[in-house]
Amino acid sequence: MEIPYEVTPRRDTGLYNAKLGVWLFLASEVMLFGGLFSAYVFLRLGVQEGVDNPWPWGVSVHKNFVWLGAINTVVLIASSVGVVFAWVALKERKWRQYQVLMYFVVACAAVFMCLKTVEYNSKLNHHHGIKLTDNSVMEGTILDKTDRIRFNGEKISISLQGALPAVLRDLDSDDFPEFTVTEGPEGTVGTKLDSASSFSSWFAENRRMIGVKLAEERKRYRAEGASGVANPKPVSVTTSAVLTASKPFAIHGSPRKIVGHSDTAVNYKDGVKLEGKLISDDVTFELHEVDMQLVLPQSQRESVVWNVINDEAAKQQFFASQSRKYQELVEYYGKRDEVIPVSMLRGHYLNVNFVHVAAEGHGHGEKEKAHDEVHTSEPKKSAGAGGDHEEHGPSRLITVPRDQIKFMGNHGPRYGNYYAIYFTMTALHGIHVVGGALVLLFFVVFGKKLYLKNPEHLANRVEVGGLFWHFVDLIWIFLFPIMYLL
Amino acid sequence: MAEATHDYSKHKKTYAAVGIALGVFTMVTVALGLWPPLDFGPPGPTASDFVLGLAVASTKASLVALIFMHLNHERGLIYKLLLFTFLFFAGLMILTLFADFDPIREQYDTFITTKGWLTEKP
Repeated sequence: MEIPYEVTPRRDTGLYNAKLGVWLFLASEVMLFGGLFSAYVFLRLGVQEGVDNPWPWGVSVHKNFVWLGAINTVVLIASSVGVVFAWVALKERKWRQYQVLMYFVVACAAVFMCLKTVEYNSKLNHHHGIKLTDNSVMEGTILDKTDRIRFNGEKISISLQGALPAVLRDLDSDDFPEFTVTEGPEGTVGTKLDSASSFSSWFAENRRMIGVKLAEERKRYRAEGASGVANPKPVSVTTSAVLTASKPFAIHGSPRKIVGHSDTAVNYKDGVKLEGKLISDDVTFELHEVDMQLVLPQSQRESVVWNVINDEAAKQQFFASQSRKYQELVEYYGKRDEVIPVSMLRGHYLNVNFVHVAAEGHGHGEKEKAHDEVHTSEPKKSAGAGGDHEEHGPSRLITVPRDQIKFMGNHGPRYGNYYAIYFTMTALHGIHVVGGALVLLFFVVFGKKLYLKNPEHLANRVEVGGLFWHFVDLIWIFLFPIMYLL
Repeated sequence: MAEATHDYSKHKKTYAAVGIALGVFTMVTVALGLWPPLDFGPPGPTASDFVLGLAVASTKASLVALIFMHLNHERGLIYKLLLFTFLFFAGLMILTLFADFDPIREQYDTFITTKGWLTEKP
């Protein structure tokens, strides 16, 4: 079938149809991203320093990834240049050149997505935050999966209705203990289960049996009621079971699935109760920064965080950095004869500071060393905003007791409004990159036939695909500064 | 196969120049964010940094739109279309002014009552 106006412009619009089509599509895309940009502005304007919803500086969130973002910008620009040159190559009827350029563009898209993956991986798997009971926040990395509750179980009480207990997934399947059913439905007591698969098939079998028995009992109850028996025997079916293990078994309980735990028991959200002995629920943490934005200035020195960190030098480091920055502010506003605004006093600049807990056995005594660190690092640090990330040799891991923790998590979308909008916008943009790259890849891999038939038609297709690609580049041009730098 | 109908060497030069300009502007954006001497206004990202950063981004965006997307010589219909797009987009941005519309908002300045809490030496 011949579709008109693929190559020649229509007389009324002055355009070939695909071009008008893609511009209409881009207009709707502007609305899609426009709504999200608007959301970004709303979230950012809604920040009340020191009260709620602190907004991190992009620079401090991304640290070394600012350069990754900059490289990504350049990569996208290079690919945009590649697309226009590919289009020109088609217009000049240079197929080979067109091919090379288009593959270059697709390769750029691949590089972009790889760098994005590195960035996402670091935020989702290596950067964590712990909010303590007084709203002070420690930023760093939770190590060795210590967010999990380590427990030695001996006895499990489960319900035989519903889904398979979540505790099974927390068990080491290679070291599965032998369970004996000590309480449970008729005929199951004494059953031995020695593997995850036998456990789950036993569970499924009993769940089915209980369903059958319940139906039978209900039928009996209704029948007795209908036949005029004054007080029919109530429906009664055992639906739970207790399993005792031959030896204590290790559990690494994911806190998301657990409602609460004590020294002798763990309660899962799905109703399973585990009895045994708690090994540890402390969190091992590698500390990078302390964030006091939500702690009143006058309470910062008595904050819970200093008890948790338990290192005088680290505390001094925080307040030394804070007062240095404060002097900068005094200087800046003093010159202008202005009062320092509250947003500055309560905001990110003064209240988020790099803190290093030095490893022990690192030369001379702890106290002396602390003194050294604060003083030797001072001149270097006056470099300005964001210059507080020097290394001081190996850091000591700190132990955070769980009862001091209000919230902990990775730097994923749930961590705060900034992360929510960051992931929403960059992921939506990433999907556009992948989609655009696939379309352009299609034009180069399957384009030869059309090129031989009507090269102008292929050139128009590439122009239209290119328009979309430039639009994706254009979005990134705005995303990069607002997410990474401002 | 039809022959090429037009001389594109001029176009190519423009595209290359724009590509280089975009690269340079990217470096300017990074410098504005990271290099302290270019941090205008109070330390950290503040209104002036936003104005500058977005001005650079807008320049880059216009280069892409005008040259790469051929908006410098396009048919009238597309401009009419984009006029509406622009109006709706502007509407979305104007919406954000509502963030500051709140006659009963309490001022949080009261939280800072202790003078000199930062001046003591550690």
